[in-house]
Amino acid sequence: MAFEELLSDPVIQKYLHELVGPTGMPVAAAPPDGEVTDEELAEELGLELNDVRRALFILYENDLASYRRVRDEDSGWLTYLWTFEYENIPENLEEEMYRLLDALEERLEYERTHEFYLSEPAGLRFEFSEAMEFDFQCPETGAPLEPMENDDLVDAAEERIEELRDELNVDVTR
Amino acid sequence: MSAEETLSEDERRALELVRETGGLHQSELWKELDVSSRKGSRIAESLQEAGLVQREEAVYQGHNTYFLMPRARDLEFSLLMAGDMLSPFIGEEEIDPTSDAFSQWLMNLAYEEY
Repeated sequence: MAFEELLSDPVIQKYLHELVGPTGMPVAAAPPDGEVTDEELAEELGLELNDVRRALFILYENDLASYRRVRDEDSGWLTYLWTFEYENIPENLEEEMYRLLDALEERLEYERTHEFYLSEPAGLRFEFSEAMEFDFQCPETGAPLEPMENDDLVDAAEERIEELRDELNVDVTR
Repeated sequence: MSAEETLSEDERRALELVRETGGLHQSELWKELDVSSRKGSRIAESLQEAGLVQREEAVYQGHNTYFLMPRARDLEFSLLMAGDMLSPFIGEEEIDPTSDAFSQWLMNLAYEEY
């Protein structure tokens, strides 16, 4: 198996799982050295060929696998030879860190400029205009909607933004 | 991290450009930075020595030059996690900062991590 060090990182395992789902995970979790066909993988892992192909194409869409097609001279059939390109994982995750940072910054602004109401029994939060539409009554339980502080969310967003900026060397004054 | 802190202003701009573009030719770099080709070459060399970019010989528009790529950094990927939940934007084309999934993520962050 290749890329063992990368695959020992639980975040990377989680990332691959998120992309290919539970049925594709046996394919994503055990990349062989060198080229492999979808049939070989299906046989080795005891999976349906369709599930293997689905996982491979998801990896391909995320720049984590590539293929070349070879025509069998006798049968005339096309064979896909796949190569796993997990060396691109760090770059992909770096990009995800930038996306998360952008989202957190936008979300922080939203949390700071809106008021929220809580339905305690349902564990649901409503923004002021939504709460008003429901006449300050929970649409699920009928319980009164109570004003809710969001300091904890604001603090958490601020702290993670700080950590991400620090890690990515993002200039705060941009 | 320390290598990055000691960069000159031009080197920092160059590194940013390499990272933003995901890779470019050295001849494009110095034109973009508006410095001489000699200076561009010195900047690229020092970034390579600091291990911040990869530099490979290349031919671009008929000239010998180098192709500069960002070196994949060993980042703290766990910053994508809130509790045991991964950033909900992974695998999604669009980012919706007020989505329910992101609310859940942020709640996890507030009540499980901090």
